Amino acid sequence: MISIKNVSKIYSNGARALSNINLEISKSEFVFLVGPSGAGKSTLMKLLYREEEATRGQVFIDTINLSRLNAKQVPLLRRRTGVIFQDFKLLSTKTVFENIAFAQQVIGKSKQEIKENTLYILDIVGLSRKKDSFPSELSGGEQQRVCIARALVNQPQILLADEPTGNLDIENAWGIMALLEGINQKGTTVVMATHAMHIVNKMKKRVVKVEEGCIVDDNLGEAY
Amino acid sequence: MALNTVGFVIRQAFVSLKRNIWLTIASVLTVMTALVLLGFSVFFLANTSNLATVFESQVEIAVFINDNQNREQVIDLRNQIQVIEGVDTVELTTKEDAIVQFQQSMGTSSLLEDLGDINPFPDKLTVMATDVSLVEGIANQIADMNGIDKVRYGQGFLENLIQLTQWLRWLGIAVVGAFAFASFLLISLNIKSNVNSRESEIRIMRLVGASNAFIKWPFFIEGMLLGFIGGVLAIGIVGAAYVWFLQYMISAVAFLPIVADQMFIISVLGLMLIGGMTMGALASVFSVRRFLK
Ligand SMILES: Nc1ncnc2c1ncn2[C@@H]1O[C@H](COP(=O)(O)OP(=O)(O)OP(=O)(O)O)[C@@H](O)[C@H]1O
Ligand SMILES: [Mg+2]
Repeated sequence: MISIKNVSKIYSNGARALSNINLEISKSEFVFLVGPSGAGKSTLMKLLYREEEATRGQVFIDTINLSRLNAKQVPLLRRRTGVIFQDFKLLSTKTVFENIAFAQQVIGKSKQEIKENTLYILDIVGLSRKKDSFPSELSGGEQQRVCIARALVNQPQILLADEPTGNLDIENAWGIMALLEGINQKGTTVVMATHAMHIVNKMKKRVVKVEEGCIVDDNLGEAY
Repeated sequence: MALNTVGFVIRQAFVSLKRNIWLTIASVLTVMTALVLLGFSVFFLANTSNLATVFESQVEIAVFINDNQNREQVIDLRNQIQVIEGVDTVELTTKEDAIVQFQQSMGTSSLLEDLGDINPFPDKLTVMATDVSLVEGIANQIADMNGIDKVRYGQGFLENLIQLTQWLRWLGIAVVGAFAFASFLLISLNIKSNVNSRESEIRIMRLVGASNAFIKWPFFIEGMLLGFIGGVLAIGIVGAAYVWFLQYMISAVAFLPIVADQMFIISVLGLMLIGGMTMGALASVFSVRRFLK
């Protein structure tokens, strides 16, 4: 499903974020990306929804070569992919409800459908009471859960979760992990970058370890 | 694009205009100002151009005939003049007609008697030229004929006026052009700052899969909406001002011909509205171009 071949990423300011990465992730797999801060985890994710392009090498989703996408195809790729952003990326001028509804309006769902889906997903992430609040009126953890709800609401084929539990207490974090495990069991491929080792160690999934832009370890089960 | 998406986009445009209320007010006021100036320019242009044609159409030459000419000779003169190149019509007003007209306009009936049966009016031919530029030549030719007492026409005044109206016409077009350009610039500046203030919003929209068209539409609608609101206000101002101006001119300086055709006024006002909306739409397309890589 995801295939990364000899990929290097050097940002325009010269920062080398990834060096000759090779990674295969099959459909319905659950993969943790771990490694120290600045290792290149977020950069790897950004290549997968085409926020950034590989400087060298190729990235494939199914058979689609992401460096060959034109301006019209990029939105289509992103609609198949749910992203939980490390910095949330919520629309500050829209309410919680509108933020989640928006991701569905983009793909042309009906008003009724949008309403039902949004209320349902808000209930699941435990934010029903905050649906009319603006992001600035929410705590960090609440904003994170809005971002999670938005990423999940369209039932994406691929879920890219960048530190989805970073701002959550242990209870909420396990709630979100249950959610991710659930959609993974229903067939969504999940890639999750995290520093939360207790979660990684207990989940017993594939763990890919990145250090200074290189994959240094790739095994099943525990990170350390 | 699905129908409910279109509806959503339109509602969204209203919402974002409401959220940026001060920016919206500023935009509407600039659009309105530009359109008011545009509207005034059009009416100014229409009136100068109307004035020009009214004065230009005064191609009349008055020919007064010697008293010693009898009626046959007068008719003969009229026929001669009729065939001069550039002459459109020749109309004879006999001295008898003239005194009757005068009597009527003065409201007396015994004028001829009071004058001792001497008619002070000459026979008069009213010659219309087909073009102003020919008036002088025709007048000179007629003056050289036998039996002509005097020839009168607009003379130097006419040429000056033609030059003046030409000049006024160009000035009018230049004024309209300048204000149309200024309006376009102002709207696109406003939309641009709208776009800029929402740059991060646009980036996020793209990241969750919004297409370019989806991102572009609200700005397009916003631009049109700004043009529309500004247009409606401008129509109110220009319409009221022109009606007031018409009434003032009719009562104060009745002799100046002012364009008062209702259809014309309504279509100018309508065009202002359409112009505002078109400018708004074009300006927003122009401003969001750089986001559509
Ligand atoms: N937009 C950018 N422009 C320039 N350099 C960047 C950019 N984004 C990331 N980098 C650099 O690339 C390297 C990898 O960054 P990245 O965000 O992928 O790390 P990360 O593994 O996600 O770290 P963290 O765990 O702190 O989120 C870092 O050295 C960072 O400074
Ligand atoms: Mg990161």
